[in-house]
Amino acid sequence: MPVTFHIPGALREFTDGRRTVQLENSPKLVADALSALYALHPGVRDRVITEQGQVRDHINVFVGEENIRYTGGLATPVPPNSEISIVPAVSGG
Amino acid sequence: MIGQVLGHYRVTAKIGEGGMGVVYRAFDEVLHRDVALKVVKKDAGTDPLPNQNLLQEARSSSSLSHPNICTIYEVAETEGELYIVMELVEGKTLRAMTGTVGLPPESVLRYGTQIAAALARAHDKGIVHRDLKSANIVVNSSGLVKVLDFGLAKRAGGAILEGPTQSFVSTQDVSTISGTLHYMAPEVLRGEPADNRSDLWALGIVLYEAAAGQLPFAGRTGFELSSSIMREIPKPLGPPVPPGLWAVIQRCLSKEPAERYQRASEIQAALEAVQWGAVVSANPGADQGGVRTMVLHGVKHARVKRGDFLLLVGTIKGAFILRSTTQRSRWEVGGPYFHGHNVYAMAYDCRAGRRRIWASTQNYWGTLLRFSDDFGKSWTNPQESPIRFPSDAGVSLKNIWQITLGRPEEPEVLYCGVEPAALFESRDAGETWSLVRGLFDHPHRPRWMPGNGGLALHTIVLDPSDNQRMYVAISAGGVYRTNDGGQTWTAQNRGIRAMFLPNKNPEFGQCIHKIAIHPAHPERLFLQNHWGLYRSDDYGENWKDIANGVPSDFGFAITVHPRNPEWVYIIPVESDEFRCSCDGRLRVYRTRNGGTSWEPLSRGLPQKLAYETVLRDAMTMDSFNPAGIYFGTRSGQLFGSRDEGRTWQKILEGLPSIACVRTACVVDASSDTAATPPTQAPPMDSSRGKSRTSRSKSRQTTKRR
Repeated sequence: MPVTFHIPGALREFTDGRRTVQLENSPKLVADALSALYALHPGVRDRVITEQGQVRDHINVFVGEENIRYTGGLATPVPPNSEISIVPAVSGG
Repeated sequence: MIGQVLGHYRVTAKIGEGGMGVVYRAFDEVLHRDVALKVVKKDAGTDPLPNQNLLQEARSSSSLSHPNICTIYEVAETEGELYIVMELVEGKTLRAMTGTVGLPPESVLRYGTQIAAALARAHDKGIVHRDLKSANIVVNSSGLVKVLDFGLAKRAGGAILEGPTQSFVSTQDVSTISGTLHYMAPEVLRGEPADNRSDLWALGIVLYEAAAGQLPFAGRTGFELSSSIMREIPKPLGPPVPPGLWAVIQRCLSKEPAERYQRASEIQAALEAVQWGAVVSANPGADQGGVRTMVLHGVKHARVKRGDFLLLVGTIKGAFILRSTTQRSRWEVGGPYFHGHNVYAMAYDCRAGRRRIWASTQNYWGTLLRFSDDFGKSWTNPQESPIRFPSDAGVSLKNIWQITLGRPEEPEVLYCGVEPAALFESRDAGETWSLVRGLFDHPHRPRWMPGNGGLALHTIVLDPSDNQRMYVAISAGGVYRTNDGGQTWTAQNRGIRAMFLPNKNPEFGQCIHKIAIHPAHPERLFLQNHWGLYRSDDYGENWKDIANGVPSDFGFAITVHPRNPEWVYIIPVESDEFRCSCDGRLRVYRTRNGGTSWEPLSRGLPQKLAYETVLRDAMTMDSFNPAGIYFGTRSGQLFGSRDEGRTWQKILEGLPSIACVRTACVVDASSDTAATPPTQAPPMDSSRGKSRTSRSKSRQTTKRR
């Protein structure tokens, strides 16, 4: 069952302008889903995670409406037909 | 050998025979476990080469810890027998499993991701396998892959003797060719050194072989095979091999290393994606690799011409490029570039005919080093951050604080100082970067402490007279010097106070704010400390206080006059707590005698209610005669003097908080000499009316370089 990524404006230059990216197969975990996204659109990777593989401090990843920081991080399960959103946190000065 | 005891290992059976040694199964009688012993062949004992290779294998592999890499436990010698003790890997080699019809695609993907993961770890450690082949890959009964035999591994960049393998007999010089021919990359056959990408080629061969049951390149002789590898296109793989897997293999087997994946981790990600059913493009230019260029629309660009003089201004909300003539009296403003990004570091590189502006950008999407070759009209926007810590470093890049050009005679060399405190070096004009391990692995590093701005290596000073000597400054770690081109570093803080520590004169841990040097006196350094103003006359061995008559010895920026090595400029601030110009009067202080005395320079600068802060990289000088000096404040004001500080003018106000100011003379690309400086110049004023930069909404598009 497909999984759909919602891509924020700042990253669309790395997804050929696409607002959404759909994966044909359903990955089990957020980490798997993100790996598949990076393979399609490599420029997204370094903007979402650090070189140590952690989601950046001020970037949030939601599966549906749940922030993965509170649901197991990158090991959060991805149910079939999930929508995954990548969103910069509210921060700045 | 069977039944013999070597050390505390009882040899129980012979497993196999490799290029350098015989491998036995043995029992560790201390730890009570089965191990593998690799013993140098007796008949090879007279030749020192196998021993060296064996030791090298052990040293290389023992630094690698990864579930997909065979673990080295010990290297030992007993009664003249040199042997390596390693994890006993039980299973079948990928070669044996593949047979002549190939493996199911799911297995190829499952094993391929693990091999890629093993290579990624090795490459992060600076180790190139150089002999990856299906016979060196074992799969156990659980499907876990182990990559064996780093016997030909070579530490990238190291000068370690390379040896031949018995699996390949070549008439070529064994010191330059090693590895099994079927898996050897075209560039290696051409006699070029193997690098990470040569391993990625070999991985492509392994994947092809596993998927098809046959090797992609063939030949009856070594010459025919080499010719095939260098020229022929492998036969395409159709169903049941999924198009995505074929695409990955094709890219691994690009003849030119630059057209392959550049990192094993990319292959791992691509194979995982194929596992999940994603489509992977075969064309590297289509969506992967390469450097994107961001073209900015709706941003006012400065119209830079040959002979112009530029100020590069980095702020906490983006970068600006100010253009003027050599008169430096009227300014045209370009920018802001990188809306909302912190730009802590900028540099202009005119070496080797370049006209390149470098900038570091940082926001919540990460930190990037970018450049523009057209004075800001377009900037690189690399898909992958070119400066990154290896995975075993355990830290991630937070910010780039300094971009420093190598010496004029090293036009391809660049350095970056970053947070967390580390030094990165490029030797190919910024294409690729590597962490300077000699400093990162320094035993002091775990005890460095972050200053107010974070734990940053913010200053890089090259000795112009000795290309092996350089200095870095770290807040709060202190001054470190190398005399051997970065291999080893020593703390050089004798005489510098650390007011915030119980021991006020520690070996290291000082919060250095900036160091400056003059080319005519490479032994002499000036230093603005977190409390303290110092000079060293012996390459940083000893520092003496030179805060003679300044209103405060707290400050950030310090710069030396381009011609007169006795002239130094600082901008004192009131205290650690307040960090604003003393008494609300914005004054630059200058010494003309190497710090024996200081004089205030305030004509044209605000002297009432001017509580300003000038950060460590926000003051700079040009090379005209008389020299110009420029500084920016945290309140977004930019000031300049064209008469060495005697009088000052406000160039611009209303900018975001200024983090760095740099100068650039735009000379003919065919010439490396600066434009002829004027000897006299009319008063300075600002011209910003046409720019509308802060109000215009920017739009950007991307294109491929």
